[in-house]
Amino acid sequence: MKRTVDVNIPLGPIHPCFKEPARLKCEAKGERIVGAEVELGYMKKGIERIMKGRPWQEVMFLAERVCGICSVIHNMVFIEAMEQISSIPVPPRAAYLRVIANELDRMQSHLLANFSYCYTIEHETLGMYLLDLREQVMDELERLTGARVTCAYMIPGGVRCDMPRHNAEILSGSLDRIERDLRRYSGMFADGPMIALRSRGVGILTKEAAQRAHAVGPTARASGITTDGRLIHPTYRQLGFVPLSRTDCDNYARVMVRFDEIIQSISLIRKCLQDLPKGVIRGGGVCKGGETRYSGEAPRGELTYFIKSDEYGRIVDIQIQTPSIMNIEACCHEMIIGADSIADVTATFVSADPCIACTER
Amino acid sequence: MSGYLYEKDLVPQKYRILVSVRHDKLVREIASELEMPVQELRRYLIEHLDMILLENLPARAEAAGTKLSDNGEVATALGKEKYTLFIPILPVAAMDSIFRDVNERVRTGIPVAEAVAYGRAQIREALRR
Repeated sequence: MKRTVDVNIPLGPIHPCFKEPARLKCEAKGERIVGAEVELGYMKKGIERIMKGRPWQEVMFLAERVCGICSVIHNMVFIEAMEQISSIPVPPRAAYLRVIANELDRMQSHLLANFSYCYTIEHETLGMYLLDLREQVMDELERLTGARVTCAYMIPGGVRCDMPRHNAEILSGSLDRIERDLRRYSGMFADGPMIALRSRGVGILTKEAAQRAHAVGPTARASGITTDGRLIHPTYRQLGFVPLSRTDCDNYARVMVRFDEIIQSISLIRKCLQDLPKGVIRGGGVCKGGETRYSGEAPRGELTYFIKSDEYGRIVDIQIQTPSIMNIEACCHEMIIGADSIADVTATFVSADPCIACTER
Repeated sequence: MSGYLYEKDLVPQKYRILVSVRHDKLVREIASELEMPVQELRRYLIEHLDMILLENLPARAEAAGTKLSDNGEVATALGKEKYTLFIPILPVAAMDSIFRDVNERVRTGIPVAEAVAYGRAQIREALRR
């Protein structure tokens, strides 16, 4: 006779579907998940503690080492926070180049997140197509900044190197190819019947639950919340940025929001290339003492730095609130609860694009 | 022989999360609002919340500050939504029962501040149970 039992199912710390170590303790009634708990601490870096007492010239390199996937935005938020403290202006050309670097970083991060999802639901072909596309984006990021990850492209008062005209033409050509391929792949995802079975109506995060957990980024925007840090960024406002959102609240919506945002990033980069102002890329400036809270829109959502520096630009105190903290919490305490099958747990977890490196900063 | 990577005692790690600058400020705020010792509140949080929820407490508290619905003076003073939905330290049923009690007292003519103080004492009792 069939019997329903309560079981605890531990997932991780090492799991084929997880990019980084974390432990999910799922409580199930039969196959239905009724509760989940997260255990962290397998890769704690203590980077905030390492940053304290060091000059900003060292901390800017440490900041982008918080996360290898979205290193550009950590660099950008830290530098812009220091600029805010020290009232350092950024030349218009440098501001546009920052947006290009940041959007390329967003594109590769979203492509990697969607690859992970496709891999988790065992659609490896589409996953590999997306990884191939990501390599092309990484090449463009390397052409612009000189490195694939931890580029240290942004410095107070500007950026490290300019974009020559021929590089802009190469980037423009690459964007055309990437957009053409991406539209085909996102169409494959959008119309795939097997993908829909694994993704539609799975891992529901209601708008209210997302607000309670302070979910951010594509995870929140897939639940109908039109929040985006780029809305208040002066350069993005010049570019007429408008956030994208969906209201399906499921795994499918989260992946599709990322596909939509990659297309949007391509448009933003094209607009930057078209309107790229002439002039210097470094205006200079001195980092001073002060205290600020500064947020930027990372690929996964709102990234906030709380910084206190002394008169020599040394970091006295720093706290980093990464988007993955909010999104993993929303995922494990809202999305996973009520999942009909254990197989949906990993898919739902990966759909929130969890970054344990960011969480264990 | 080395031990397992998992099934470790997480209390020291949870404590480390709670004593970070932003978390410590929040825990002290809650403790002073509920008029209970900080250490006692920390112990309760460590025992009842998992690591990711502890990490997310400041963001949840911020969300509570901006997204709380207007349920009246008593509900706001008592933290009816704040301490159940945003910072989930109390079950919704327990908070509802306390809220009904406090409302009943207000209806009988007891001043709101006094009734809310009674409600907070009830919350403390519920946390200690």
